[in-house]
Amino acid sequence: MNKDVSGTIQVEGVSHTFVSNGEKTHALDNVSFEVPKNRFVSIVGPSGCGKSSLLMMLAGLQTPDEGRIICEGKKITRPDPQRIGVVFQEASLFPWLTAEKNVEFPLSLRGVKPAVRHDRAREALALVGLEGFGSRYPHELSGGMKQRVSIARGLVQDPPILMMDEPFAALDEQTRTVMGDELLRIWEQTRKTILFVTHSLGEAVYLADQVLVMSARPGRIIDRIDVDLPRPRRFEMMSTQPFMELRERIWRQIRH
Amino acid sequence: MRLDATTVRRLLIVLLIVAWEVLPQAGLVPRLFLPPVSATVAALWGSAPEYAYHLWVTLQEVAISMLFACVGGVAAGLVIGNSVRLRQLLLPLASAGFAIPLVILYPLFTAWFGIGPESKIVFASVYGFLPTLLGTAAGVQTIDRHLVTVARSLGASRFQQITRVFLPAAIPTVLSSLRIGGALVIVGVTVAEMLTSTAGIGFLISRYRTLLDSPHVFAAILLVLAMAIAFDWLVQLIERRVAGWQRAIRTEQAPAAAYS
Repeated sequence: MNKDVSGTIQVEGVSHTFVSNGEKTHALDNVSFEVPKNRFVSIVGPSGCGKSSLLMMLAGLQTPDEGRIICEGKKITRPDPQRIGVVFQEASLFPWLTAEKNVEFPLSLRGVKPAVRHDRAREALALVGLEGFGSRYPHELSGGMKQRVSIARGLVQDPPILMMDEPFAALDEQTRTVMGDELLRIWEQTRKTILFVTHSLGEAVYLADQVLVMSARPGRIIDRIDVDLPRPRRFEMMSTQPFMELRERIWRQIRH
Repeated sequence: MRLDATTVRRLLIVLLIVAWEVLPQAGLVPRLFLPPVSATVAALWGSAPEYAYHLWVTLQEVAISMLFACVGGVAAGLVIGNSVRLRQLLLPLASAGFAIPLVILYPLFTAWFGIGPESKIVFASVYGFLPTLLGTAAGVQTIDRHLVTVARSLGASRFQQITRVFLPAAIPTVLSSLRIGGALVIVGVTVAEMLTSTAGIGFLISRYRTLLDSPHVFAAILLVLAMAIAFDWLVQLIERRVAGWQRAIRTEQAPAAAYS
C-alpha cells in the first residue's frame, strides 16, 4: 500500500548524547512524535532541553545516536532544503548579499538559472510582504524584515515542510505579534507543515494546532496538547479562558 | 576659518613639496642630500625612456610576485585558518618566519636563482606571502560560524561552504592583509634590485647613488612611491566595491528601517 507521506515527519525513539570539553551531556531521551501533513506544531521546553539538538537533526546537520527521523517516508541523513526549509533565529542572513540574493542562495547552490532564481526569489519576497525590498542589504532592514527574508529563503524552494528555530525570539513584543499573524497568513496561503520551536508559551499556543512540551535535560516529550481554538486566530483570543487554560497547563509542566 | 582634515592633509603635502624645492635652493640643505624637486622632475623627464624601461621590468616582477604572494597567501591562509591542527602546527612557524628579516637570505636567493628577475620574484613572493597568510588565517577565525551552519542547512557542499561563505566573509580581512602583503612585495622587489641586479627601478637607485647623481636617485624613489600609492589606491577601490557591506555595517549600526 502506498501511503501519502508528503509533508510528514516522524521522529522515532531519538536519543542523543554529545560530548563537549570532555563532558558528556545527555541531550535527548527517547523522543518520539509525528507531524502530519499541513499541521502547525510548536515545540516548547525549558532552555537546554535539547530543542536545538533535535532541530539540528531535523535539519540533517547531526545524526542521532539512537532512533531515526523520517521525513516524507525517507530517513534524514543530510540537509535537504527542498524537503525541509529551515528558518533560524536572527542574524542568519549573509550580510554581504542583498535580500534577494539571500533568498536566491539555496537555488544558486543547486545551479538554478539566474532568470529562474530571480523570479522565484521575487515571488518568495512578495509572499512574505517584502515586495520592493529585494535590493536592500540585511543591515538596511529591521529585525522583523530580516526574519521575513529568512522565511522567504526557507520557502523559496517550495518545500512541503518548514522548520523554525525560535525565529521571533530576538524581536520586540509588538513586532513579534505582527510576525506571528504574518506567519499564520503565509501558512494558510501555502499550506506547509510547520514545526515551530519557541520558548514563548503564548506564541506556541497562539500559532499551533498541537504543542509538544519537552522536559528539562535529558529532553523528553512530556505532553502533547491539541489546541482546538478556532482559526483564524485573533489577538483577542489570548485573553480568553480556553487559551489561558492551555497556557497554564504547559506552564505547570515545565516550571519545575 | 575652519579646515577639514582632508584640506589640512593636502596643505601639508603641498608644504612638504615647497620645502623640498626651497630648502636646497636656499642652500639650507646640500643638493647632494636633497636635490630640489624641480631638478628631480627634470632628471626624470630627461631620462624618461630609461626610467620607463626599468619601471616596466620592476612592474613585471611586482605583478608576478604579487600573484604568487597573494594567491598563495590567501589560499594557504584559508586552509590553515580552517583547520585547528594546521593552525597549531603552522601558525607559530609562519609568525616566526615573518619576524625574520628575510632580506639577509637574499644573497642565497641570488645563488639559487641568479641575479635576473627570478630571484627577485621568489624573494618578494616569500616576503609578501607570510603577512597575507597570517592576516587571512586570522580573518577566517573571526567568521561567524553560525553562517556556515546556515549554509550547510541550505544544502551547501564543503566546497560551496568555502567559496560561498568563507571567502566572502573573509574578504574584508583578506583585503587588508593583501594591502600589507602587496606593499611588502613592492619593498621586496625594489630592495632585491638594489642589492644585486642588472635592471629595475631599484637597480637605477643603486647605480645613480654610486654616481652621486642625487636627482636621478630621487626620481627613481618617486617612481617607487607612485607605485606603492597606486597599489594602495587600487586595493581601496576593490575594498569599496566588494566589501562595502562591512564598511556600511561599521558606520551605521542602527537599522535604517523601522518597518516590520
